Amino acid sequence: MKGIVFTEFLDMVEAEFGLETVDAIIEASDLPSEGIYTSIGTYDFNEMVALLTQLNQLVNKPIENLLYAFGHYLFNSLGRAHPEIIQSYSSPIGLLYSIEDHIHVHVKKLYPDAELPTFKILEKSDTSISMVYSSSRGLYRLAHGLIEKCFEHFNATATVSYELLKEDGTEVRFDIVQNAA
Amino acid sequence: MPHNEVDILKRALDRQKKARLTAEKILEEKSKALYDTAEHLKRTNARLNALLDERSDEMDSAFLNIIDPYVIMDLNFEVIKTNDSAKSFLGFDYNKESLNLQELVHPDFAEYTKESTKTLLKVGVLKNYRAKIYTRKNQTKYVQINASLIYNREGHPIAAQGIIRDITQEMEIEALLSEQRKQLDIIVENSPLGIVLSVDGKFIKCNSAMLNMLGYSLNEIKQLSVADISVKEEFATSKRLLEQMGTGNLDHFSINKRYRRKNGSTFMAKTSVSAIRKVDGDIDYRLAIIEDITAELEAQEKLAASESRLALLIKNLDLAVLLEDEKGSIALTNEKFCEMFDIDETPEALIGQNCSETTNRLKKVFPMPVTFEENLDSIHNNRLTVIDDELETKDGRFLERDYIPISSKGNYMGHLWTYKDITLRRTFKQNLQAEKEKYSSIIANMNLGLVEVDKFDKIQMVNQSFCAMSGYSEQELLGQTASELLEYQQMTLINDSSNSVDKKKTASFELKVRHKSGQTRHWLISGAPRYDERHRIIGSIGIHLDITGHKQLELQKAQLLKELQVSNKELHEYAHIVSHDLKSPLRSVSALATWLREDHQDVLDENGFEQIQMIQDKIEGMDNLIDGILKYSSIGRKDHKEIEVNLNHVVKDIMGIIYIPSHVNIEITSPLPTIKADKTKIHQLFQNFLSNAVMHIEKKEGLVQIGCDESNSHWTFSIRDNGVGIPKEYHEKIFKIFQSLGTKDGSTGIGLSIVKKIIDLYEGRVWLESEVGQGTTFYFTIKKHRA
Repeated sequence: MKGIVFTEFLDMVEAEFGLETVDAIIEASDLPSEGIYTSIGTYDFNEMVALLTQLNQLVNKPIENLLYAFGHYLFNSLGRAHPEIIQSYSSPIGLLYSIEDHIHVHVKKLYPDAELPTFKILEKSDTSISMVYSSSRGLYRLAHGLIEKCFEHFNATATVSYELLKEDGTEVRFDIVQNAA
Repeated sequence: MPHNEVDILKRALDRQKKARLTAEKILEEKSKALYDTAEHLKRTNARLNALLDERSDEMDSAFLNIIDPYVIMDLNFEVIKTNDSAKSFLGFDYNKESLNLQELVHPDFAEYTKESTKTLLKVGVLKNYRAKIYTRKNQTKYVQINASLIYNREGHPIAAQGIIRDITQEMEIEALLSEQRKQLDIIVENSPLGIVLSVDGKFIKCNSAMLNMLGYSLNEIKQLSVADISVKEEFATSKRLLEQMGTGNLDHFSINKRYRRKNGSTFMAKTSVSAIRKVDGDIDYRLAIIEDITAELEAQEKLAASESRLALLIKNLDLAVLLEDEKGSIALTNEKFCEMFDIDETPEALIGQNCSETTNRLKKVFPMPVTFEENLDSIHNNRLTVIDDELETKDGRFLERDYIPISSKGNYMGHLWTYKDITLRRTFKQNLQAEKEKYSSIIANMNLGLVEVDKFDKIQMVNQSFCAMSGYSEQELLGQTASELLEYQQMTLINDSSNSVDKKKTASFELKVRHKSGQTRHWLISGAPRYDERHRIIGSIGIHLDITGHKQLELQKAQLLKELQVSNKELHEYAHIVSHDLKSPLRSVSALATWLREDHQDVLDENGFEQIQMIQDKIEGMDNLIDGILKYSSIGRKDHKEIEVNLNHVVKDIMGIIYIPSHVNIEITSPLPTIKADKTKIHQLFQNFLSNAVMHIEKKEGLVQIGCDESNSHWTFSIRDNGVGIPKEYHEKIFKIFQSLGTKDGSTGIGLSIVKKIIDLYEGRVWLESEVGQGTTFYFTIKKHRA
């Protein structure tokens, strides 16, 4: 898993729960990297699982909700890191529609070894889009948070509903309808 | 700051430092990797170029001189090298410009090209890749490429080489062939003729026309052989021909044969079979073309029937017909022609004869044979239609002649002469005029008044008789209403049919009119409606008969009858009075004569008594005479009712009343009928005959026989006696009143006249047969049913 996810995750924990919590979950997890993350590095996904598990125990919030909140946080961070990408879109649906074909292509340029989820578009109109998230990581709630934040970025809101096509969350259908302004 | 917090911060800072070091290490590694990659690429490129140069040298010698275009490209389709042929074919020189072959491929073949490239990379060779490409000259070409990969020393593919063959023309021909094949298929499929291909009697191809004719589906027909669709009795012929074809003696034959449909029905078809042979002469397959000629055969039959009808029609035409062919021979003529020109041969015998011979016969019929012949020749030479020529024959017939030349597609084929006897038509007008004059003269001279009136009863026409009858002149009558002018009165409808009031029917009236002179006249009028040619009523015609004379006679007759009745009555009363008045003194005379004899019987001698007795006898006779007159005069009165009268009873009654001398017998020889009549009169009738009969018999044994006979209308009775008989000269006389032959007492001479009168009443007849000394038979008849 890309280092930027870890660094941003720890930033979020620090912002939300304080540096103590960051330190606590790192110390509590038996991490091969010893909690030393750089955004350009690549780390084992299990470290993220360990950190999440520790956070869950520490703050007593479901992992799902933590991921959802992280999604919100991550969108802003990514936006700050690569503003030109987001600026090239005029609507949230346009952005979502291009994840696979445009954004992920750019990601691959920088990080050829990045393991990215896929978004298969089922149908799309001016105000709605349906797609299937699929990733062995099963971080669909993270995606959920990212999607919502995306609409927020464009000063819009949307009703996002999802349906687990596989129980472990590795394939999830999202039906997104933009609310009228 | 709590110690704990400081520890945390320390740890966090330590992690950040280590993270930075890690990042820097990663970056250093990445830079090194990039440098290595670049170096490696440089070396590879150099090696590749060397390899290509090396290979190119080899290839130059091998391929550069081949005629077909030859191209080497790298794995990205960039052209590396070509031969001259390829330069000219593709229209570019690789030395001067770069070219990517992928760009030349027509978009339709992009996918195919991609697939082919994959194959090439996988297998190392590509055979018969075919695609449409654009050349630099902007032409579109079809090419076929055989390509193979070029490997480097390590065995990795580095380029590909291919030979291009221009197959544009080939493709065009193929397309053309396919188009033609399609057209042929369309023609075969849509042909109204059945087309069948067969091998060894089995069908391999059959078009829809044939399938429709037979009613089989294509799959069904493929299971069948020629024998299956042939009519059994006729198959032998087909088989023989097919065998001849098999031995090579026959390449083509055509027959008319019947085919059997799936449903068992048959149809007649014209069949042409051709053998398509292989090079060695064996039959490859047979091609049969089948045409259903059922309709054609029917049409032929209809034509024949139509021709025979036409021939019959001409034969029986009321028009003399002579059809001459272009050689001047008779092609057709008819009965009427022979009849019209007195030709003593049948029309059939004339056919084929030369027309000049016929002309010779024809001209004899006309008063000027030479002119006729010249005229005929001139018409003949002009060859123009001449119609309605009128000719007069020697015997006064008029003929109308038409000449019609016949040509077909501008060629003279002969001509048609027709002659029509129009004598009747010609003379019709004359006849009509004559008839009209005849009837006009009849109308003018007949003794009946004729008047034509229009729908408003205004007189349109009168004849002379009507003028005479009415006393008015024609001018005075025309335009007037007859009923007003002549003051019609007392119109009596004579034919009392209620329809007569309807103007459409004839009606007769009797009426009184006023003659111009003021006299009253009696007319009988019969009226009938007048119609125009479209059968609409335009008025009526009245026929008038002056019956004033008849009417007067009739009135006189009525007057006379009336007078007669009065005088008859008077006469009858007179007879009563006279008989009463006469009888009274007669009784006195009788009384006086009796008294004379009684008072003077002492003085009277034998002679005196006898004379007084004679007076008494004469008085009795006179009394009888008066009674008879009274009876006679009362016979004409019909004051008794007619009832059923049994004549057998009547005769018996009479036999009880009248005096019958003892030597006379009366017998009824045949039973007498019962008739309807006045009993008293019938009684009188038979009593008179029987009294007469028994009275005049002097023979020792007298016999009177009563007989009866009947016809449809009458009873005939006979009364036969064997008395003295009546001399011939009295046979008529005796029926008249007061005529008596006898000197016998009691014979007044009135009896038979009463008989005659009664028989007259019963519309019968009376006569007699008699021989003096032998006897007399009286016959009389009585009508059975009287009005």
